[in-house]
Parts: sequence; structure tokens; C-alpha cells
Amino acid sequence: MSTDLNTKLIMRNAYRITSDRRHTCLRVRVPGGHLEARHLSLIQHIADTYGNGTVHITTRQGFEIPGIPYEMIPEVNRALAPLLEALEVAIGVPLDDTTQGYPAAGTRNVAACIGNRVCPFANNDTTALAQRIEATIFPNHYHVKVAVTGCPNDCIKAHLQDFGIIGQAAVEIDAARCIGCEACVTNCRKRVTGALELQNMIAVRDAQRCIGCGECVLKCPTGAWSRNPHKFFRMVILGRTGKKNPRLAATFLEWAAEPVILAVLRNVYKFIDEHIDRSLPKEHLGYIVDRIGYPAFRDALLDGVALNPQARVAERLDFHGYWHTADGIMQW
Amino acid sequence: MTNPYQPQPAAILDIRPETAIDTTFRLAWDTPPSPGQFYEVSLPRLGEAPFSISGIGDGYLDMTIRKVGRVTEGIFALQPGDHVYLRGPYGHGFPLEQLAGKRLVIAAGGTGLAPVKPVIQYALAHPERFNGMEILLGFRSPEDILFREEIAAWQQQAPVHITVDRAAPGWPGKVGVITELLPGLDLAPLDQFQAVVVGPPLMMKFTVRALTERGLCDDQIWVSYERRMSCGLGKCGHCKINEKYVCVDGPVFNFTEARWLID
Amino acid sequence: MHDTPSETRRVRLSCEEADILLDNLAAHYRLFAPVRLPGRGRFSDQDAIRYAEVHTVHEIEHARRSHFSPKEILFPVSQTLFYLMDDALQEPQDDPRDMLVFLRACDIHGIARLDDIFLNNGPEPEPYYARRRARIKLALLECRHSLDEHCFCVAMGTNRTDAYAMAVRCDEGQLLVEVRDDDLRPALPASAAPADFTPEFPTADPQPVVVPDADRLQSAIRDHGFFAHPMWADYAKRCIACGRCNTHCMTCSCFTAYDIAYTEQPNAGERRRVWASCHIDRFTDMAGGHAFRDENGSRMRFKTMHKIHDFYQRFGRHMCVGCGRCDASCPEYISFATCISAISRVLEER
Ligand SMILES: Cc1cc2nc3c(=O)[nH]c(=O)nc-3n(C[C@H](O)[C@H](O)[C@H](O)COP(=O)(O)OP(=O)(O)OC[C@H]3O[C@@H](n4cnc5c(N)ncnc54)[C@H](O)[C@@H]3O)c2cc1C
Ligand code: SF4
Ligand code: SF4
Ligand code: SF4
Ligand code: SF4
Ligand code: SF4
Ligand code: FES
Repeated sequence: MSTDLNTKLIMRNAYRITSDRRHTCLRVRVPGGHLEARHLSLIQHIADTYGNGTVHITTRQGFEIPGIPYEMIPEVNRALAPLLEALEVAIGVPLDDTTQGYPAAGTRNVAACIGNRVCPFANNDTTALAQRIEATIFPNHYHVKVAVTGCPNDCIKAHLQDFGIIGQAAVEIDAARCIGCEACVTNCRKRVTGALELQNMIAVRDAQRCIGCGECVLKCPTGAWSRNPHKFFRMVILGRTGKKNPRLAATFLEWAAEPVILAVLRNVYKFIDEHIDRSLPKEHLGYIVDRIGYPAFRDALLDGVALNPQARVAERLDFHGYWHTADGIMQW
Repeated sequence: MTNPYQPQPAAILDIRPETAIDTTFRLAWDTPPSPGQFYEVSLPRLGEAPFSISGIGDGYLDMTIRKVGRVTEGIFALQPGDHVYLRGPYGHGFPLEQLAGKRLVIAAGGTGLAPVKPVIQYALAHPERFNGMEILLGFRSPEDILFREEIAAWQQQAPVHITVDRAAPGWPGKVGVITELLPGLDLAPLDQFQAVVVGPPLMMKFTVRALTERGLCDDQIWVSYERRMSCGLGKCGHCKINEKYVCVDGPVFNFTEARWLID
Repeated sequence: MHDTPSETRRVRLSCEEADILLDNLAAHYRLFAPVRLPGRGRFSDQDAIRYAEVHTVHEIEHARRSHFSPKEILFPVSQTLFYLMDDALQEPQDDPRDMLVFLRACDIHGIARLDDIFLNNGPEPEPYYARRRARIKLALLECRHSLDEHCFCVAMGTNRTDAYAMAVRCDEGQLLVEVRDDDLRPALPASAAPADFTPEFPTADPQPVVVPDADRLQSAIRDHGFFAHPMWADYAKRCIACGRCNTHCMTCSCFTAYDIAYTEQPNAGERRRVWASCHIDRFTDMAGGHAFRDENGSRMRFKTMHKIHDFYQRFGRHMCVGCGRCDASCPEYISFATCISAISRVLEER
């Protein structure tokens, strides 16, 4: 007898419709990309017991467990419960019944670079923030990609997400500790944006140029620079890969505090719900905004959001993507 | 407690260009230093820099200054009657007592002549206290020769040998490094000599080596060192070489000490 | 050690009593101690531990070494020597109040090293240092054991001291205090319970560090070309000349002076001095571009020699007090302690 499936429901349960008619593939989320190693044994158990004994590591920091017969899905979901408890419920994701598998898959795993638990450049604990974001926006059926990175090096490729969140350090100088060595100045000029110069032998920062990377704090031999303990974020939006018009995300917010980031992400779903073209199988957020325009999107995102005083909102978005048209392609 | 960083104003009495970039400034100053010592000279809001004494006289000091940066450019912009600010004198100068009664070999390279000039002048003014003097001077080019008038006067009293590193055709004098002047020197009897060697680091190194090869002992050789300095008081550490501070233990060192100043 | 003065008082103080002690002390002294500055560390979400004025006992960081040393109380990172108004040089006023500084045994020895330079080297005492030095009293923060893996005070002989006015041990929320200084004794709260407390000192370093004999080292330098030993070439490849080992060091005392003119009012300005570091570029720059120790291995060698040879030859004791801050701060994981042990090995091998 052939398999009879409601593919929509299967996919919403975080299983793939695959190139193999008899087998599905489970997508395991790891919010923030960091998990206790003991959970790997459950992933192995599922792969060995229900799948084909292999696991694929995804770019979004999840695991895909292929080779699972469709009929095993309920059993796999039950086996998965401890993972949902540990990786979702424990961080505040509202799941009523962890024995039913993932309740949604549209909003993708919130990924994060390794962050300040390991990386000296990171301006925040990216995993922890990714988990708080996961708890804010998941489960949700709309397709939204979010990633968190600790500094503008952007190791998680936040610029390829619908929402990329980049840790910013509000660096502050204690002028009485500056010895005018220029270590920060030279580094910012050569590696960053050239936001610093010595004025009367003391480093001075041009707030318009500073992107909050925090490198000056790392370089200063006297501890003259330090980060304001309040965390700030740049939010870049509507980056994408894909078939029509790939592009890097552009800056929407700078120096935004975490509550602003969370509130903006919460607002996304209402906007999608109002504007999505339901005649398409699924319209990605970037293309919705391409149709509706940035001002309306901005207003929707900021609706009811209390911006922290330091926060700055982009007046317009400059994308530098390209179009997959044949126009520019030479024939030879 | 008096503040040793507090400088005193000194009026510029006279300004005499020596070369295109070196100028001698005569400053009104009452307490004479010993030759080889130096002062910290400052212009408020431009900075402070150490300079040797190139001439000592009644009520004045000469400093021969090369225009190279912030402070020196500031000094070059001044006119007679303007003030600079001085603190010092600092360091140990040339040991005139130990040189007394001896035959002197003075070897000076470039601006190194400035701190040695008062020694030469002292020796020429008191010929009875010394047993003669040979003066070897090296400059980069004829245009870099300092103290032309004074040198002309010295030549009346003592042998003065001048060489330049390079010269345009027509230069009647010697071309070559200062060590090339040494083989011509009569250094007998050896124990009667005391040598003073001041100039750029390489010039000092090779001149001292040549003199010791000619048989002079370390303790017969005196050198003067130049290092970056901030305080002149043995505190800032810039001038330290091994356990010595050039500003307080030098700038003039006997070579028995200087040979261990390994950088 | 001296005979213990007969008036020495040893007490145990509750938290409240300890704060009364600090309150009483604060009537006459500004109190300085290592404190934790949340989130101000080099890496995000890490704290900075630095010297700052304190008013209560719980502000004092008892458990960890301060990143920067207490030298900055006596020798600030940046200090105005003169205000320059037209042609007048005006010495700034310094806070006239006395200070009580809580610090560890190695740092107390470190102050003696700073005294060697600022008070005893050269023709006369350094007035800016001297005036603060005359105003401080020292309160020992007891280390019963090495604070962490970087300490090597035992090797440097700086683990013990009796050069303090009072000593404290933080003991399960209470403070054990020994007061030796007559001026401080009245600050003890009347309710203070007597206790049997004399500070203990570490007796072993976490890892043995072998300090080379300074005279043998001198002979190696003078007679055996030790400065050309390949060990320095290795540091040339590792050291990035960032200067943190110097700026964090308790005993590095170098500075550079410069003048500025205020942008808004160019006929007024300052003559300042700021910390300098023999590892950082330009330390030896002279007009015309000449510099010494251009590559970083020779800078490592120069610093090391100062710490365990040059200073000794001048003052009869080592400059380094084994506080470990250089090792704790080096971003390239260059261990000075390992370096001096390596020197000892080279001397042994010859
Ligand atoms: C003992 C001694 C005697 C000297 N005698 C003379 C002299 O007779 N004539 C003369 O022209 N020059 C002399 N110099 C060199 C003179 O000090 C420098 O040329 C001068 O510091 C340059 O200052 P600046 O501000 O014009 O140059 P900048 O290049 O702008 O110098 C900036 C700073 O660097 C420091 N610096 C730069 N070069 C030197 C240097 N060579 N020595 C010490 N510090 C330096 C100074 O602190 C100065 O403030 C002497 C140096 C020393 C140590
Ligand atoms: S935070 Fe980055 S961009 Fe800003 S001043 Fe520092 S180094 Fe430059
Ligand atoms: S690195 Fe630090 S000390 Fe150096 S110029 Fe920058 S702020 Fe000043
Ligand atoms: S050299 Fe290192 S261990 Fe020694 S006093 Fe300085 S910082 Fe402390
Ligand atoms: S080690 Fe370097 S910075 Fe430290 S005191 Fe010595 S010369 Fe100065
Ligand atoms: S801290 Fe390390 S890398 Fe930096 S100057 Fe010192 S030894 Fe070199
Ligand atoms: S010039 Fe400051 S110590 Fe010599």
C-alpha cells in the first residue's frame, strides 16, 4: 500500500518531505547553537533506532536525522520529548505537549555564533540571547530566520537572515587612563571604521563612525576603554539567499536594547499575517517588504515599541543584492 | 619641597645659524654648568627636550640645536628677547680634573661636536693645564660643518683634522670617515693620552675600537651618550641602558663603564 | 620581623563592626582597595578588578588579584605636572587627605621598589610621587596562600612583610584585623572582640620559579653574549609589543611627558606625564627616526633584565615582586615567570 500523508502537517511537525518516498527527516532545533553534550546521545539514539544511523549538521545549527520511516513519526516524537523539555521548555518556549514533536517549523532555529562564553571579541552571550528570542517567537508557522552574533565580524552570518542581531559595545573611555599610545586608534583605523583619533594625546571617538565592535577595549593596555555594561544591538534585516534576488541584510536599528529587539521580533508576525500573498505556497518576508515598502514595514515593527534613548532607526534601507536575470550574462 | 620639574625662564640673547638646520642660541643664564652636562629646555604647550651646552660664558649659555620636531621648531621660531624655559644642568659632564695634565684626543662627529666644544675651548683657554690636544672632526658634508669661526680660531692653537663623508667636487679637504684620521695620529707616549669621543652611535663605536686597537686603555676614553629622555632626573626610565641611566650616570661615561652599555 | 609593638591590637569584627571601622578610618583617610567593576573587564560580561576608593568592607575584592596594580594610587596613569597659562607654570593641587591603601604583601614590596626609583634614584626625590607617598598608610590584605597560578612571590622573597599599619583577613563574612599603627587604633569599634590573628603568608608558589643569580647573570651578559642567546629570538616571534605586562606591573615606573594646548583656548594647556612601556613602540625613538631595540625579542629581554638584573645591580634587590600581573595580562600567553626560570636553566647549562 502506498503512503498517504498530509504533507503540510508533516512539515509543520518539523519533518521533511524528502527525495525518498518512504522516509522522512527530522529537524532538531538547537536554539543558540549550544547544547549540553549529553543531549547528543539522544540524537544518536533516534538516528540509530529510527533513522539510517546518520545525522546532518545544518547551517542553522540544528541536526537533521534522515531515513526515518513516516510511520515512525509518532514514536520518534515521543522519543524526542526529553530534548524538547531541555532545549525548548527549559528556556521558556511555551510547549503544551512535548510528546507530539515540534509544533511548528516555519520560524527557524535561532542560531548564534559562539559568543562571549568562548570568543574574546563577542560583546554578549549570544546563545543566551538566541534562547530568549526563541522563547519570544517560537513556535510560529511563518518562515522567519533569526540569528545572533557577538560582534560585527558576524561569524553567524547575521547578514543572511531576515533578522540579524549583532552585539554592540557602547565603549567608554576613562580619559585619565589614556596614555596616548594609539593602539586603539591604529587598530580602529586599520581593522574597523576609523572612528578614533588622538586629540591632545587622548583617544576620542566619533560616535557616528563607531560600530561598537569593542576592539578598542581589547587593545588598550591601560584599560582606558571599557564597555558600558548595558548591552546594545544592531539589527540588520531582510538579508537572504535564494533564487530571485539574493542580498545582504541592511541595518534597521543601531544601539537598540534587548527589550526593543524582542518587541520588534514579536511585531513581525502581525505584519506578515496582514501582508503575505496567500496565493503563493509561501512568500518570504523580504519579498513581502519588497512589495509593501520599507516605511510601512518599519512602522509595523516599531508599533508600540518603546525605543531606548540610544537607539537609532534607519531612514531607508540600502540593499546591495543582485538579480538572477539573464540580462547581464554574456554568451560565448 | 621644591619641584625639580619647574623650569626657569631664560632670555634669548643671540641667534646664530650654523648650518641650514642647526642654529646656536645664546641664552642669558647665570650659573655655569660643566661641559658635557645638559638642560631640559621647554616651550610651554609645545614640550620639553634635552639639549647639551655648546658654549659657556659669563652670564650666558649656548645651545646648538637642530630643527627636527615640535619643540625645536618652536625654538627656531623665536627671536632674541623671547624666552625659553630651562631646568638643569643634569648629568655628569667631562671630567676636566682627570683630563688635566694629559694630551687630549678629541674626536667629534656631527652635532656631537656641540657638547665637546666647551671642552675644547676650556683646554685652549688653559693650555698650561693640558699637555696638548689633537682635534678630529667628522661631518656629513662641508655644508654640515658647525662652528666654522671657532674652528678657524682653534686651528691657530692646535692641530684640527676635518673629514666629511661626502663632498661636491672642489672641496679641498679630506673625504672619509673619522676613523681614517686615526692612523696619522702620534699616540706616544700612550699613557699620556686621554680621548673624548662623541658622535652618532656607529661613529663612536668604530672610533673607540680604533683607539683601543692603537693601544689606548678603556679608562683613557670618554664618550657621551644620547638617549630619548623625558625627565633628566633618573625617574622616567627612557634613557636606561642596563643598570645605567644616561641622564644621571652619564651622558658622559668613561669607557670602562660604557663598554657594558649593551643595547 | 620587628618585635610586635606591645600596643598591637588583634580583633574579630562582624560585618557591621567592620563597616564602623571603615567609617571611622574614613574620617581621616581616603580608603583605597581593589574593587570589582561589573562588566568593565577586557572581555564582555567579565568584571574589571581595579583600585578605587571604598567605603564599606563588602566593596573590597578579597579573593582575587587586581588586574592593575595599586601603583596607580601613587603614580597615576596620567598626571598633570603643570597647568600652562601663558608663560606661567602652575603646579596642580593634589588632594591633601591622607590615604589608607589595602594591598597584598607583594604590592607592599612593590611600593618599596617604586620608592627606590622615585625617591632614591637620581639627584632628588620625585615631588609628585613623594607627596602622595608621604600621605599613604598600608593595610595588608592577607594572602594565606597564593591567589592563583600566576603568583611567584615566594621565589622573589616578597611573600612576607611587616611593613604595614594594619592587616586584615576576610573570614567567613567577618573581618580579622591586626592594627599596629597608633593612628589607626582609635578607629576600632569599642565592641571589637579580641582575636588571635596575625597574618599568615604563602610559603610555596603554585609552580616553582627559579630566579637567576644576578651576578652570574651579569657575567653571562658581559662575558658570554647572553643577549644574543636564541631564547630572545623566540620572544621576537611571540611578543606583539602591546605593553600590557608593563602597564599591569606593580613596579614598572616609566613615564613620558608631553605638553598640550587646549583646543578652545590655545594659550592655556598642560604638561602631563603618562605611563610609558619599554615594550611599546617609540619608547626609545629619537629625533631623526633612530630607535633602539626595534624588534620585540630585545624588548622582552630589556624588561626581563630590568626586573631581575639591572635594578638589582643598582639597588641590591630585584625589581620584580612576583605579583604575577604580567603573566595574567599577556594576550600572547608569554609567561615572565617561565622566562626567568628559563634564564636560570641557561645559566646552569653553561
Ligand atoms: C643628553 C642629550 C643632549 C642633546 N643635545 C642636543 C643638542 O645639543 N642639540 C640638538 O639639536 N639636539 C640635542 N639632543 C637631541 C634633542 O633632544 C632632540 O632633537 C629633541 O628632543 C627633539 O625634540 P622635538 O620636539 O623638536 O622633536 P620631536 O621629534 O617632535 O620629538 C618628540 C619628543 O621626542 C623626544 N625625543 C626625540 N628625539 C630625542 C632625542 N634625540 N633625545 C631625547 N629625546 C628625544 C622628546 O621628548 C620630544 O619631546 C640631545 C639629546 C640628549 C638626550
Ligand atoms: S568600538 Fe570598534 S568602531 Fe568603535 S571606536 Fe572602538 S574599535 Fe572603533
Ligand atoms: S589604546 Fe588606550 S591608552 Fe592607547 S591611545 Fe587608545 S585609549 Fe589611549
Ligand atoms: S614583572 Fe610581573 S610579576 Fe614582576 S612585579 Fe612586574 S607584573 Fe609583577
Ligand atoms: S620594565 Fe620597562 S617599562 Fe618597566 S620599569 Fe623597566 S624599563 Fe620601565
Ligand atoms: S604583554 Fe606579552 S605580548 Fe604584550 S608586550 Fe608584554 S610580553 Fe609582549
Ligand atoms: S631621562 Fe628620565 S630617567 Fe633618564
